[in-house]
Amino acid sequence: MLPYAVAAWLFGIGLYGIATSRNFIHLVGCLGVCQSATYVLLLGLGYRWGSIAPIFYDHPPGTPAVDPVMQALVLTDIVVGATLTALLLVLTIQAYKRGGSLDPEKLRPMRAGSKSGRGQGSSRGKDEERTAP
Amino acid sequence: MTAFPAVLLPLPVAIPLVVCAAMLATAHLLPGRVPDILATLAALGVAILSAFIAAHAADGPLVYWFGGWEPRDGVHLGIGFSVDEASGWVAAFIGLLYALTFVFAWGFFGRTHGHFQILMLLFLAAMVGFCFTRDMFNLFVWFEVMSVAAFALTAYHLEESALSGAINFTVINSLAGFLMLGGIGLIYAQTGTLDFEGIAAAVARGGRDPVVAGAFCLVAAALMIKGAIVPFQFWLADAHAVAPSPVSVIFSGSMVSLGLFGLAKVSAVVFAGSDQVQHGLPVLLTALGSFTALLGGWMALLQRHLKRMLAFSTISHAGIMLTGIGALSADGTGGMLVYVVGHGLVKGALFMVAGILLATRASIDEIALRGLGRGIGPAGIAMAIAGLLLCGLPIGVLDQGTRGVQGALAQQGHGIALAAGAIGAALTGAAVLRAAGRIFLGLGPDSGDEAGAPSEDEREKANRPLWLMLAPCCALLVLDVGLPAHLIEHALPRAASAFMHRPAVDTVAEGPGWLPWMSVLAALAGAAYGLLRDRLPAFVVRSVGATQSAPTRALEALHSGLIGDYAAWLAVGVAIIVAMLALA
Repeated sequence: MLPYAVAAWLFGIGLYGIATSRNFIHLVGCLGVCQSATYVLLLGLGYRWGSIAPIFYDHPPGTPAVDPVMQALVLTDIVVGATLTALLLVLTIQAYKRGGSLDPEKLRPMRAGSKSGRGQGSSRGKDEERTAP
Repeated sequence: MTAFPAVLLPLPVAIPLVVCAAMLATAHLLPGRVPDILATLAALGVAILSAFIAAHAADGPLVYWFGGWEPRDGVHLGIGFSVDEASGWVAAFIGLLYALTFVFAWGFFGRTHGHFQILMLLFLAAMVGFCFTRDMFNLFVWFEVMSVAAFALTAYHLEESALSGAINFTVINSLAGFLMLGGIGLIYAQTGTLDFEGIAAAVARGGRDPVVAGAFCLVAAALMIKGAIVPFQFWLADAHAVAPSPVSVIFSGSMVSLGLFGLAKVSAVVFAGSDQVQHGLPVLLTALGSFTALLGGWMALLQRHLKRMLAFSTISHAGIMLTGIGALSADGTGGMLVYVVGHGLVKGALFMVAGILLATRASIDEIALRGLGRGIGPAGIAMAIAGLLLCGLPIGVLDQGTRGVQGALAQQGHGIALAAGAIGAALTGAAVLRAAGRIFLGLGPDSGDEAGAPSEDEREKANRPLWLMLAPCCALLVLDVGLPAHLIEHALPRAASAFMHRPAVDTVAEGPGWLPWMSVLAALAGAAYGLLRDRLPAFVVRSVGATQSAPTRALEALHSGLIGDYAAWLAVGVAIIVAMLALA
């Protein structure tokens, strides 16, 4: 029961962090916390008390071992996590270079009334009307 | 027919992966247009091969076990591909959509060393793998590969809006991946296998089990996030609006509907034995689907940024697909599968028209573009036809899918979902037709509520010949209209039953024939209201404005673009799914 509770708590607290975050780097960290929930859940589900790691090099075959499938899932999950974190940090750096901020509130995609929004679009529209064939 | 070499099954996934790896290694050496040609050929190869596989799968699903790890004594250790007829045809459709998109994007990205093509081929391989797999964890892997390729493609332009849209998309879809993995862990812990058939058998043996229901909740939530179902839909409008237009073609045409395709497969095959899931599903899916269809349609009508409008229209149509799954019958799912293909063809064509406007008129804003489309009439005709097809003009593949979904809903007495689907389609059709009228005919000087919608300047590479961009767009529309109806009618009952692993049915129910016409009429009326607002009596306009403006602004404010809000809505959505299944 404990792994379930810890996993749910980790996911919840990570989600809370994402929901309230005002900094993209912090947000990426919170996403990592959410992902840790899946590690805990999977490892907890695959664990068997009193068993060895699923490596039979120095153990006779048939020794009780923890579930290797779950460990494979966690490994894949870690790879996914590394990819996502790297990609998100790249996007964050690029967004910071262009927007000059790490605050999600200041970097909203395409909002009415934002500085690069409507006004510019319609003034460009007028230019276009003059030059259009 | 029986001696089909099953070894062909991995090829539609392997070909794009090999081509993309080879291209990545040699990208700096390849001259000019070679990446374009290679990518187009690879996608065509996938389409042809998938169609070949689908044709052979008519007699029964084809199965391939990687490395020969076939199940023994009911123990599934290996990972397998299992292709039924419907999955094969969906994969063939995806391959074709990619091939046409590569033609559309010919020379789009200038000197990029083929990075665009490499990412797209990776995306294609992931989608085909997603269609073919019969293993829960493999499904997750393709889901993630698809997501990562999509994240990178969204941010391709590296502009401010594109970046923040891509970040929202990445965070929400990563959370979807984590939910899915949690669900897969739970179902594995309960059943001891990851194979679809193995899980299905164990679930059917197990009876009512909260862990199985919980696992389904998590997996379903993940797939619905991919499928942009309310309240998970927020990322889609941000991502589709800022992605380069060839990428948006793929996103709307196949990625979103593939999420729902996965949901249909998982709920019909893997969780078929869980009474709790099967009791809860119809209400859950039809309710969420109806709400999504209405909200997406309403939001589409309020947009002025064309790609954002089409994004909301995709949300609306995803809702209609979800109601089709919610009927939980071979009719509904079959109709939904046809709908996926038809919608992909039409929506792909519409995004291509948006791309043509971006390239030739250097704007994507409906109001700024008013009357500027006069020089490119054929694109306007294509847009108008696509708009009519979108709202339900009774010709072609999309209509056949609509009738299938409506027939299933009518048969099962889901009247509200039926009406919501028709209204949603009408609203999105009205939005597209209004934009077509405004851009290509110069109508609609009074911009009304849509003037307050977000929009942004955007430019795409201009020096491509018009015919090169228009040809794939027209090809998509011709395919939608011209695909012989009797072929689909003949194959559908069999394919849908095989897809759902159920005994074959003879015929597929069809919805009331007048309903699509009602949608078309409503769409025309909606578009006419938007375009001729300045000529209508003042009291009509004022009363519509008074009742509609406040909810409109509220809805727009809800789509805040803030990742924190989206995460909160995600939690709400998961809670809704859990609650509805717990009550079942």
